[in-house]
Amino acid sequence: MASRLVTSASRRGRRLNLRDISKIQRCITGDVKQISAKAAPAQAMIKGDHAFQSTIKGDHAFQAMIKDDEKVDDKLEKSLKDHDFFKVRNIVTLRDLFTARVHFGHDAGCRNPYMTPYLFGSRLGMDIFDLEKTLPHLGDALNFTAHVVYRGGMVLFVSRNRQMMPYVEKTAYECGEYAHCRYWYGGSFTNAEQQFEMMTRLPDLGIFINTLNNVFEQHRAVTDFAKMLIPTVGIVDSNCDPRLITYPIPGNDDTPVAVHLYLRLFKEAIMRGKQKRKEDGLEDKS
Amino acid sequence: MAHIPSVQFLRSFSRKPVFKYNTWLKKNCFHSSVVRATAQMPPTGVNPKHVEKAPRTTKSAKVEKISRAMQAYINKAKEHDKMIQEQTAEFEIGKRHLANIMGQDPDNFTQEDIDRAIQYLLPSSLFHVRARPLMKHPLEIIPKRKVPQFGSDGKPHHFLFYTMKPNYYEIMYKAAWKLEELKKAEDHLHQTASEDVLNKENRMDLKGSEWISYKALKENLQEKINEQDYARLVLLLQRIVDHPLSKLEQKFIMQYRKELKPMSILSDIPKPKLDEEGKEYQVGEGKRKTAVAKVKLWSSGSGKISINGEDISYFKDRIHREQLLFPLQVVKKVGEVDIEAKVQGGGPTGQSGAIRLAMSQALLSFVDKDTQDKMRIAGLLTRDPRRRERKKTGQEGARRKYTWRKR
Repeated sequence: MASRLVTSASRRGRRLNLRDISKIQRCITGDVKQISAKAAPAQAMIKGDHAFQSTIKGDHAFQAMIKDDEKVDDKLEKSLKDHDFFKVRNIVTLRDLFTARVHFGHDAGCRNPYMTPYLFGSRLGMDIFDLEKTLPHLGDALNFTAHVVYRGGMVLFVSRNRQMMPYVEKTAYECGEYAHCRYWYGGSFTNAEQQFEMMTRLPDLGIFINTLNNVFEQHRAVTDFAKMLIPTVGIVDSNCDPRLITYPIPGNDDTPVAVHLYLRLFKEAIMRGKQKRKEDGLEDKS
Repeated sequence: MAHIPSVQFLRSFSRKPVFKYNTWLKKNCFHSSVVRATAQMPPTGVNPKHVEKAPRTTKSAKVEKISRAMQAYINKAKEHDKMIQEQTAEFEIGKRHLANIMGQDPDNFTQEDIDRAIQYLLPSSLFHVRARPLMKHPLEIIPKRKVPQFGSDGKPHHFLFYTMKPNYYEIMYKAAWKLEELKKAEDHLHQTASEDVLNKENRMDLKGSEWISYKALKENLQEKINEQDYARLVLLLQRIVDHPLSKLEQKFIMQYRKELKPMSILSDIPKPKLDEEGKEYQVGEGKRKTAVAKVKLWSSGSGKISINGEDISYFKDRIHREQLLFPLQVVKKVGEVDIEAKVQGGGPTGQSGAIRLAMSQALLSFVDKDTQDKMRIAGLLTRDPRRRERKKTGQEGARRKYTWRKR
């Protein structure tokens, strides 16, 4: 990635990465009063002048900008080092999952072989999830969701379950995020520029409350998200394919109680991410 | 100060890394959220000659966080505006040329003059209006740009944006929740109050209104909804209406209903006129098949009938004579009014029907409201739209086939 961005300056010794370039841009165009001071490093950089670094150091405005960016960088990096930065792993317990009937899978005959590792066994012909495996998966998913939101990402809730549709949409609305519980038009992501009639920013995370569509085949959005390299979090029941979901959560996706639990948890994770973002001053001031 | 570069140089330089940054994003990171876009360099503290050339921006030169989507939109919008400007300039020049060709004053050459000139210079025998040559202001011809549905950070305003029909699905979403709330309220009433709380008064009355049409809904929403979508919405709203407590959501429902207006025929009935002798009369016009009739009807008469100067024997058959009497029978005024009719075209059936309609129209001025309604219900005020059906080739008549036997 960095090699593509090597500028004339970096070819002579100093490698620039993405953030450096944006910093330099800000330096060049950032402050009206500092034009003359900035013109020098700008020119110097193009010529590969060694004076470049020293001039930059003398520029207070530029220094402040770098510091500002470094602060943000620090915060973001620090957030990743903590295993449970948003304390979302503790908001749900095994008992919660059990009482919400998350452990109920489908009939053993409908089982997707890729779901076998997550199963505890089969009782009266019905698959039962191993909740001890589900719980860490759920924790990871919640943590990831909070991190994406913390970085200013957009979240799209997807579900095709008619019964739970209003609840999913309501949750998305309450979080200030987005929902798609209706017919999925092919190409709405892969051909977004045509479909939306202009270039459109796509969501940064998909949360699949149900990965099947209304005829119990895999939701087309699952493949579309994967094609667009957008990470996904999804509840995968014993009849679903977990392979294209980035953070699969093995569990029951049909029972309303369980779905209510998932929605509550994801809402909580998103709200925590947003809260933290506000506290750390990462919010765009506009 | 010797090393201060010119504004042009700075600008071209400052653009370079931006360009690279964007192209990298395009290549490697489709949905990457945010890039730093540079505002244009304001010309300060440099050679005033260059300043004039460089475009002025009132914005501060602070670096803003703008999403790639918004940046793309802004660029497109700029292009579009530029194109419109060019087209407008071309149009203005073209207009002046046209005025000169036509030998008219180019400064006072209006759109009407243009249309006339085009019609004269490029006579077209093409039938369809849209196929004919035209010259209009570009703003009238070029479709308008779509306004972006997202903010400068690229985040859509609407929470159902990605469904492609956010406005439509928002209504569906709201309606679904209204229905849920009604169900909850009903349950609550069942538990707390006696059954008679659920009486008819809580139910909505839809009399005098109808669902807004598919077309109207489409226009309201400004979205590409199809008839299936419309049917689905009506179904859901109807479910709310059918709920025993639907009156609670009357306001919501009435947004999607249109009031029915009463029949206009009976709304403005002219008053009777007075002739030279001071007698009250009214005129009426009627048509049936190809016949056209004009009738003058006096309210106080002795039952005289004159049709094109003849009496009722103008019609030879009994059915046709009965046609004339029918409106009088309905309003019970047989032998009380005088009629003078002039009728043209058609045969006896058409003519008698036309006179009947014209008579009924004239009679309206002399009867009370109830009788008017009665006349309307009897079908006296409706023009009979039936026409002679054409003969088809390969057939003896409109429907009749030639006699044919199996050989």
